[in-house]
Amino acid sequence: MKILSIDTSCDETAAAVTEGTKILSNTIWSQASAHAKFGGVMPSLARRMHEERIDFVVEKALSTSHQSLVTNIDAIAVTVGPGLSIALGVGVSKAKELAIKYKKKLIAVNHLEGHILSPLANNEYPVSSIKYPSLGLVVSGGNTILVKINKIGSYETLAQTTDDALGEALDKAARMLGLGYPGGAVLEKMSRLGDVKKYKLPIPILGQESRRIFTYSGLKTAMSRLVESEKPLTKEKIQNLAASFQDVAFAHIIRVLRFVVTNHQLPITNHLLVGGGVVANVELRKRLRKLGKEFGISVCFPYSNKLTGDNAAMIGVVAYFKFQRKEFVDPSKIDRNPNLKA
Amino acid sequence: MSISTSKETFPTKKMILLNSFKNIKQIIDTLQKGGLVIFPCETVYGAAVDSSNEVAVKKLNRYKERPFGKPYAIMCSSQKMAEKYVRLNETAKNIYKTFLPGPVTVVSVGLHKVAPGIESETGTLGIRIPDYKLMLNLLKKFGRPIVATSANASYRKRPYKISDIFDNISNKQKELIDLVIDAGKLPKNEPSTVIDTTLDDLAILRQGEIKLKDKNEVLSRSEENTQNVAKELWQKYDSYKGKRAIIFALEGEMGAGKTIFTKGLAKTMGITELVTSPTYSLENRYSILDTGHSLAHIDAWRMEKSDELNALGFSSLIKNRSVVAIEWAERVADEIRKFDDEAIIIWVKIKNPSTSSGRNANERLISWGIEK
Repeated sequence: MKILSIDTSCDETAAAVTEGTKILSNTIWSQASAHAKFGGVMPSLARRMHEERIDFVVEKALSTSHQSLVTNIDAIAVTVGPGLSIALGVGVSKAKELAIKYKKKLIAVNHLEGHILSPLANNEYPVSSIKYPSLGLVVSGGNTILVKINKIGSYETLAQTTDDALGEALDKAARMLGLGYPGGAVLEKMSRLGDVKKYKLPIPILGQESRRIFTYSGLKTAMSRLVESEKPLTKEKIQNLAASFQDVAFAHIIRVLRFVVTNHQLPITNHLLVGGGVVANVELRKRLRKLGKEFGISVCFPYSNKLTGDNAAMIGVVAYFKFQRKEFVDPSKIDRNPNLKA
Repeated sequence: MSISTSKETFPTKKMILLNSFKNIKQIIDTLQKGGLVIFPCETVYGAAVDSSNEVAVKKLNRYKERPFGKPYAIMCSSQKMAEKYVRLNETAKNIYKTFLPGPVTVVSVGLHKVAPGIESETGTLGIRIPDYKLMLNLLKKFGRPIVATSANASYRKRPYKISDIFDNISNKQKELIDLVIDAGKLPKNEPSTVIDTTLDDLAILRQGEIKLKDKNEVLSRSEENTQNVAKELWQKYDSYKGKRAIIFALEGEMGAGKTIFTKGLAKTMGITELVTSPTYSLENRYSILDTGHSLAHIDAWRMEKSDELNALGFSSLIKNRSVVAIEWAERVADEIRKFDDEAIIIWVKIKNPSTSSGRNANERLISWGIEK
């Protein structure tokens, strides 16, 4: 069963063809000026650019996978949220148009579920190997959310950000250090050469992990004060400040995770599926794996960085399961839902 | 220096194979003719073409099988050369001073002096000055930048030796290569880091400072305090609710507490949903079910031009008499001002009184009022 998926939630125009969890094509037209970034939308571009590209990207996804909409594709899937309304609208109306024109089943997908299930893409982790309940973590520029996966399609939010997403906080810290914007990926590189012990920043909600929130506003304030007091910045100072910020930002995530794993009366958690742009961060992966080892949880990341950023292949993976559950939407009723939650 | 790949990985007859930069004339000659050169650098093996040759750039596109719309970076020998191709702002100049030459690519506003297909669709251009003497020397002799990218096909293994490249590309790709400079196995350094400085061009310089008519000022000592200020401000203006649009135009540095203020505003309006930062999505909308009112929470930080606010449907928000909180409002001040008649516009400035060291890190000076 083959599905054509479309995602225009952010500033990448993306389409993919998938068969089960296998990726046949994964086309992304990126607007990014930087190679690695956690994203966000450029308003001047959002709608117009998506409109200009969507046909080309869909066509490319089909031709790369050697599939034809008329004969091979069984269903069309599209991201309906969360994301920027005007951007989402472009993908949704395209999917609707194609579904009606070619008489295909239409599937509405939550972008966050896409990130959560992205480790399953290409059978990197076979669906049959995942035991429930498991945990799902999304760490991206737009979201930081931890969910309990009762089974595929059934999620419960365990913790989420109350202000900035992790990727966004890293981007903003980079900006404070004069490393441009968005600079989360730059911050990671700088951190590798820095000394985490040189500065002391406060770990958010230290000791109050039972609140089950992620928050970066206090850390951001402390960072901006510290950066001010350290000016003028040298290369070494920048590296040390970057290292300290990243260290504390990750320590916070791990502490909340640890609380949830030890105190949330979960029966033995089997897997932790992690998706989103910040998964590309090597240090974060290391810490998550370490936590997993400690608790006997298998930590699963997407097989390629092409699956960590925004893409449509992960939308196809979700759509496959929805297809099996026969969760289709009526093309005349589909609508975007910018504030969609997990 | 040794040739580290087996013979069968070099299928093309025309490919020139060098094991040093010694024959610099031959390398320059190849570049000038629009050739594609594989070269060693302080990061990974790179693929390069002449930055002034459109046909060569297209060849590089075919070689890289890049995602569409992804721009290239160019390699320059010095900041002086770079300044012929980009406009450097303060942030960029600082980064050049601190990190270059080195494995950092700095993105600035391009001057459109390179071949099409190199700059990004928004006209920005990444520049790198390598910390690799032989390469700098080549660039100086060549006299203009080269387009340089890592020599692997997109999303493939980072190339630290020639076989990393040749084992992972198709014959078609191999045939596009005109010259290879093989320096053996390179130390495992990371590819260059990209720093985008273009969002740091201060829009506020264009807009001018916002001067308030009546000076209301209060010292907030905590996040709760800031939320309470929002509550008091709301109570002052909520009689206009439903009659006119109410805009809270928020000004303040990163981490000042603009989102915290909006949280307080939402709470007092009766919104129970979690209010989070709108930086990534530009706009979050919250509705109060029983009254039918809504709060639009907008972030203008990435808006390069004021009219971009309109792309989000700002004027219809005003028409619908919505409540709007805009972070980084100073960036789009002239667009907001246009609605002076139809909307109540309250400017709120949140400042970090950071000059007084040793004070509570959570202290904020909040001032508000109507513009003069």
